[in-house]
Parts: sequence; structure tokens; C-alpha cells
Amino acid sequence: MANDKKILVEGLRRRDPDVLDRLIEQYQYRLFRYLLYITGNHERAEDFFQETWIRVLKRGHQYDGKFKFEAWLFTIARNLVIDWQRQKKAVSLDSMTDPEEGKGFEIADEKAESPLHLFLQAESQERVQASLEQLPVAYREVLLLRFQEEMQLDEIAKIQATPISTVKSRLYRGLDALKGLLAGGAA
Amino acid sequence: MINELHARAEGLIAKERVEGISAAEQDWLGQHLRECAQCAESANATQLALRSLRALSIPLPRELAARTQFRVRLRAQELQAREPRWRLVWAMCGASWVAGAATAPYVWRGLEWIGHRAGLPDLVWKMGFGVWWALPAIVAAGILLMEGGERSARRGVGGTA
Repeated sequence: MANDKKILVEGLRRRDPDVLDRLIEQYQYRLFRYLLYITGNHERAEDFFQETWIRVLKRGHQYDGKFKFEAWLFTIARNLVIDWQRQKKAVSLDSMTDPEEGKGFEIADEKAESPLHLFLQAESQERVQASLEQLPVAYREVLLLRFQEEMQLDEIAKIQATPISTVKSRLYRGLDALKGLLAGGAA
Repeated sequence: MINELHARAEGLIAKERVEGISAAEQDWLGQHLRECAQCAESANATQLALRSLRALSIPLPRELAARTQFRVRLRAQELQAREPRWRLVWAMCGASWVAGAATAPYVWRGLEWIGHRAGLPDLVWKMGFGVWWALPAIVAAGILLMEGGERSARRGVGGTA
């Protein structure tokens, strides 16, 4: 494990394309999902996905292996989105932090599989998606990091550059809101 | 009193997922959930919400990884090609600083002599010495600025958003 990390750190420092290829494969789903959650748009998430890896290439020497690679990766992705929002000023930067200004996000309806036994599951997924769309970005982000990425609170705090107490409060509120939305949808 | 118990149970149900609870709290919550249908339902709703969230899948854009790998490789080649040029710039800057430090007293005296011969005020030849000393840094900063401008122009054409 420690050896893997050493190889990773060394590969990033040397800008080894093979190491980067492997990382892109390995983290494509998780990074894309994270970007989709925080940008709320498929095309934009795709653009940021590519930009994130370009930045990993350029700044790979800054990764020292003290933290999980995914936490570092998500921090880069998040900073890119924040920079873009600052430049564009179209969406308030606060929408990343202030749940009152959170925007909905779209998930394209591109289900490749359609066996009958997946129908109910798909229906349930649509309901969860619809509920998530209604959640503010800041809540969606912490819910993803905590319950899908299964990150520790301190790792999330590091990614969001906020105190752990803020992360906790967002998690409590987000969980409560999601629960309410799902229960409302089911009723 | 009963409301307080329900509120405590609600709090622990969420806390268990968010930050974890102690063994004593777990025992208390377990006991309460066995006795209180309303709180047990709330615990189930929380569990269901999290299970649904975890089960949510996102379709990936076609060839996303391959396209990204291609772009990253191109950029890596570009950076690699630029590296020797940068090394040369830094080496020249370093050498210039060393030479500057070693010859500073002589340059100072030389400029002082020229200044007096030309009848210039002291401030002028002293400023000249300052410029001479800062020249390597000015050249390096110029190169960095040019490089930065080039990069921004490129990003404006093919970069994000």
C-alpha cells in the first residue's frame, strides 16, 4: 500500500503518462460524479473533468502522499469550478457555500440497460435524482463525499476548506432535507 | 419529557451516520427504537435515503477517459518539450546572480567613477547600480510574463468554458 503511494507520488512528480492514464481510468467515475454534483451540468462537468487532469499533470509534484489521492483530486476539481465561477460571475460563488442559492442539476437520461427487473430500481433512481436536484449544491456535495465517497469529516473539511463543524452542520441539514424530499416523493 | 426522548433519538439517528455515536448511545438508541414506532420509522427513512443515495448511478459520457488521456498526453509532451528551455533560463539566472554578487564592489566603484566623471548626481548612478543588480530578475520576470500570456491565449482558444 505504502509502496503504491510511493509509485503514485513518483509518477506524478515525473509526469509519467502511464501513471496518469491509470489514474484517469481509475477515478473517472468518481471524479465525473463529483463534478456533476457540484456543477449541475453534464457538459460542464466533462470540461472540468479534462481540465482537472491537466492540472494534475502540471501540479503533480505538489502531491506528497500525506492525504488520500482522491481528496487532493477533488480539491483540484473544486478549485477549478470556483475559479470558473469567479471569472464568469454568472453564478454566485456563494452557491457553493450558501444552500439558499443552490441550483438544481441535470442528469441526462441515458440509461443503456432496460431489463424489466431493473425497472423498479430505475424508477427509484429517478426519484432520488429528482430529490437531489432540489437540494442546494453545498448539501449535495457533502452528501456525496460522506456517503458515496465515504470520506472522513476531516478530509471533506480539507476539500471544502471549511471547519469540520461546518461540514457536520451541512451533513445534518442535507441528510434531513434528502430524507424529507424522499419521504415526500414516496407519499 | 417524551418529546425530549424523541428529539434525542432523532439527533442520534443522524449523528450515527454523520459522525458516529458511542456504544452507550447506541444501546440507548436501540432500546428506544424497539419501543417507539415513530422513531423507528424515522430511522428507516434515514437508512432508505442513504441506501438510495449510494445506489444512484450516473452515466459517463462516451470515451471520456480516452479523450482525457489523449489530451493529457499531448499536454505532457508539450510541457516536456518546454522543460530544457526553462532549465536554461534558470541556470543563466543563477549564474548571473553569482557573477553579480562577486563583481558588485567593482561595478559599484566603476559606476561611481563614471558618475563623477559625467557629473551625474549620486542618486542617478546609484539607481543605475540597482538596475544592473536587478537585471537578471527583470529578464526572468519578462520571460515568465510572456509565457503566462501565451498560456492564457491558448486557454482562451481551447480551454474550459
